[in-house]
Amino acid sequence: MRRCNQDRAFHTANMLLLDYQNVLIQSVLTERFSGAAPVHIDQTVSDFDGVIFHISTPESKTRILVSIQIRCYDDLLRYGADEVLRREYGNYVVPAEAGYNFSVEVDLENLPQSKEERDDLIYKISLLKRNAMAAPFEQAYQEHYQLKEAASKYTSEEAPQGVREGGDVKVVQYREEEAIYVKASHDRVTVIFSTVFREETDRVFGRVFIQEFVDARRRAIQNAPQVLFRNDPPLELQGVKGVNSTGTGEIGYVTFVLFPRHLTPQRMNDVISHIQTFRDYFHYHIKASKAYIHSRMRRRTADFLQVLRRARPDSEEHKERKTASGRTFRTAA
Amino acid sequence: MANQTPAVVMDNGTGYSKLGFAGNDSPSFVFPTAIATKGPAGGAGGSGSGRPAVANKPSFLTGGAGAGGHLSQKRGTEDLDFFIGDEAIAASGGPGYGLHYPIRHGQIENWDHMERFWSNSIFKYLRVEPEDHYFLLTEPPLNPPENRENTAEIFFESFNCAGLYIAVQAVLALAASWTSSKVQDRSLTGTVIDSGDGVTHVIPVAEGYVIGSSIKSIPIAGRDLTYFVQSLLRDRGEPDSSLKTAQEIKEEYCYVCPDIVKEFKRFDRDRSRFLKHVVTHPGGRQVTVDVGYERFLAPEIFFNPEIYSSDFLTPLPQVVDNVIQSSPIDVRRGLYKNIVLSGGSTLYKDFGRRLQRDIKSLVDNRIRQSEIRSKGAKSGGLEVQVITHKRQRHGPWFGGSLLGQTPEFRSYCHTKAEYQEYGPSIVRRFALLGGPGGS
Amino acid sequence: MSQSLRPYLQAVRSSLTAALCLSNFASQTAERHNVPEIEAQTSPEVLLTPLTIARNENERVLIEPSINSVRVSIKIKQADEIEHILVHKFTRFLTQRAESFFILRRKPIKGYDISFLITNFHTEEMLKHKLVDFIIQFMEEVDKEISEMKLFVCSAHPSLSVCHTKPSTVERAGTFCCRVFPDTIRLIDQNITVTLGSACLPHRNLGTC
Repeated sequence: MRRCNQDRAFHTANMLLLDYQNVLIQSVLTERFSGAAPVHIDQTVSDFDGVIFHISTPESKTRILVSIQIRCYDDLLRYGADEVLRREYGNYVVPAEAGYNFSVEVDLENLPQSKEERDDLIYKISLLKRNAMAAPFEQAYQEHYQLKEAASKYTSEEAPQGVREGGDVKVVQYREEEAIYVKASHDRVTVIFSTVFREETDRVFGRVFIQEFVDARRRAIQNAPQVLFRNDPPLELQGVKGVNSTGTGEIGYVTFVLFPRHLTPQRMNDVISHIQTFRDYFHYHIKASKAYIHSRMRRRTADFLQVLRRARPDSEEHKERKTASGRTFRTAA
Repeated sequence: MANQTPAVVMDNGTGYSKLGFAGNDSPSFVFPTAIATKGPAGGAGGSGSGRPAVANKPSFLTGGAGAGGHLSQKRGTEDLDFFIGDEAIAASGGPGYGLHYPIRHGQIENWDHMERFWSNSIFKYLRVEPEDHYFLLTEPPLNPPENRENTAEIFFESFNCAGLYIAVQAVLALAASWTSSKVQDRSLTGTVIDSGDGVTHVIPVAEGYVIGSSIKSIPIAGRDLTYFVQSLLRDRGEPDSSLKTAQEIKEEYCYVCPDIVKEFKRFDRDRSRFLKHVVTHPGGRQVTVDVGYERFLAPEIFFNPEIYSSDFLTPLPQVVDNVIQSSPIDVRRGLYKNIVLSGGSTLYKDFGRRLQRDIKSLVDNRIRQSEIRSKGAKSGGLEVQVITHKRQRHGPWFGGSLLGQTPEFRSYCHTKAEYQEYGPSIVRRFALLGGPGGS
Repeated sequence: MSQSLRPYLQAVRSSLTAALCLSNFASQTAERHNVPEIEAQTSPEVLLTPLTIARNENERVLIEPSINSVRVSIKIKQADEIEHILVHKFTRFLTQRAESFFILRRKPIKGYDISFLITNFHTEEMLKHKLVDFIIQFMEEVDKEISEMKLFVCSAHPSLSVCHTKPSTVERAGTFCCRVFPDTIRLIDQNITVTLGSACLPHRNLGTC
């Protein structure tokens, strides 16, 4: 019974999760690429974490410009975002539109020939945010490979300080109050999310939920990355600028430890995509849980009302009554 | 402005939901307000309660809750096992899913479904964290205040949205008409003719407030036009008279004519007015359907309902005139001057022109009568103006987008902190957005 | 129903039935007014001695009778933070809809989670024993509901015996991990056995004061 339930759960897993790509960019481009008559586009859309996209056709209707604005773009540049984006978008990169951090442009008259290639291009552009955010992770991967290489020359005791300690902590302040910290070592990559909850309910739900993450691994999913949760900054973040060392309870730190089996180059892209969606996914589920509890409360409230309504005597008194002569009349209340 | 996230504008209608960000000229997503959940489809309102005792209660109490028996069985991730919009329609075609429409007649009937519909719209489609954004929602005229409170409860308690503004669709439709060149002053007084798929409303609005007692609705709207086209196709024995074909013909070829008799003659004189519509079947087979008089006859049912319906016989211009005449006398002039169209079924070519002409003749007739009765007094006349504009189709949404991007929008919203301070009843009152006092 | 719950509810039922002996009584302080005396608190002679029925320190009922009205306040069991949040959410949800609950007080008495105010007008138009039934049923179900909701939010609560209910968050956490590390799926499939403790915590004996 449990087995089959579990199977069902994973079967439905796809719809539980959020996409990595921006659905709107995808649908706009798909429509434009389909060969429909070119039209003027000017749309500003938002994505998670305050990211803003601007899809427009500034020069002619056939040239679509997609720009992105990320609040932590400077952080990302420091960790090689430019390189990653240039690698991904190559010829499509154009100088960034004013007010935005990065732009790509596609010319509808100059699209790839095959449908697969066009779909790939659409998908790639709709992953703009993901790719920009991927830079620090990719860098951490590379660092990890180097450190691993270096460490393999030594036994664990005699390794030089730099190799044992691992690389610097990369800080991506992706939201006003929340940041991602990435640190590479020779045997692992540690990703730490700082999370802030504004509301008591969310905080409690969130903590329970993260606890489940932690427990899930302990219970069953041994292969999964290690997940830790604590209210004070983890040791890895000691001395990192901007980390508040006093655990006030409002800020929590969620640590994912990626072990070498997650760190293979083949898996890199997937792992990076998944781990980026952590926060959105996390909040989505907290909200979905609240929605569920709301619907339970509605149901229970309806039940209570029904019970209370039974206390009101039915409109028996208003029933029609008969007199002895056979005439009917209605009684007043 | 750069650091400010754009407001999210959501217009959830009976048939379609329009979602997007303020400042854009069209909604980012338009899809059916439908949700497919595990289990069989619900009946009216998707309640499927099977408990008649609660069925007659207003939905804001029961939330259109399903059978209580499901309570203990429901568990796990079933609460996330659903689709919305087009995906819902697709999923309901397969096994295991039932399709529900949480909104009936413009009002939310099933809050459980609506809450999930919203959460999915926000996270999956719009991809925003509600805590970072302000929201502008719409409601139909005469929405009970309890529904507003329920909406606020969901948005503030479930989603923790930063701020919320709920506007009446008709008022937003008026605001949308400000883009028209005919509109000189940005007033919020006018008559809104909102014709969607299911029903047509005529709503008088004075200074941003709906005159509830004068609203009239007409049981003729887009769907009826489609049925009418279909019946004409059937009568002629066209090779394809499916509802889909009828709808395509309606959307592509129909227009409003000034005079139905002359138009018939013109058609008979000029054969080029008869068109051919090519239908491609899924198999690749192509069928050609003739398109004839229905081009002008279909929208004509607004003006001469007797050709379609035997129950409802008042022409639209007459209804509009009645509505304005039943409104307070001091606003009637403004109502005649600013008749705004909104919704997909008002998009036919020359719809506005014909409406204006017909209302004008009604008004002029009445003035002449009273001039005769008054023996010699002269009337200064009455200006009748029907406003057609480019954003008519998603009028309320566009109006919301227009108002949502103004810098003062946020100060009109109620914030999460205010909600917590006063409770849900705070949303019973909103300062009038874009009204006097606003810039 | 657990051993101590039955006598607790029975005690509430009989005390409440006794207290609901109300008559129409005009205010003695304001002419031509008729107010619930228990709320007005202006004439001490028409107020009766309040009564607390406690099951333990976390669960108790306060019944405050008067000549024309009775105030019943309930403190719902809250063992931890989550239950506290859920109780708070639920009672707020209910009081938001107080309009249709007739006897629900919009604000609970201090120290309690939810209060009802029953006046002589309520007992005149509604059946008294059914009103008592309502309060009792409310007390029973509210506990159940809170437990079930908690089970949904938080799976591994040791004192809950609902073994058949699958904790959702485990599933979710699992789903997430699996997405990140696809080849673990099979493993989970075989290993996951979530066991919940099945013993109910022994409850304290009923105390009346």
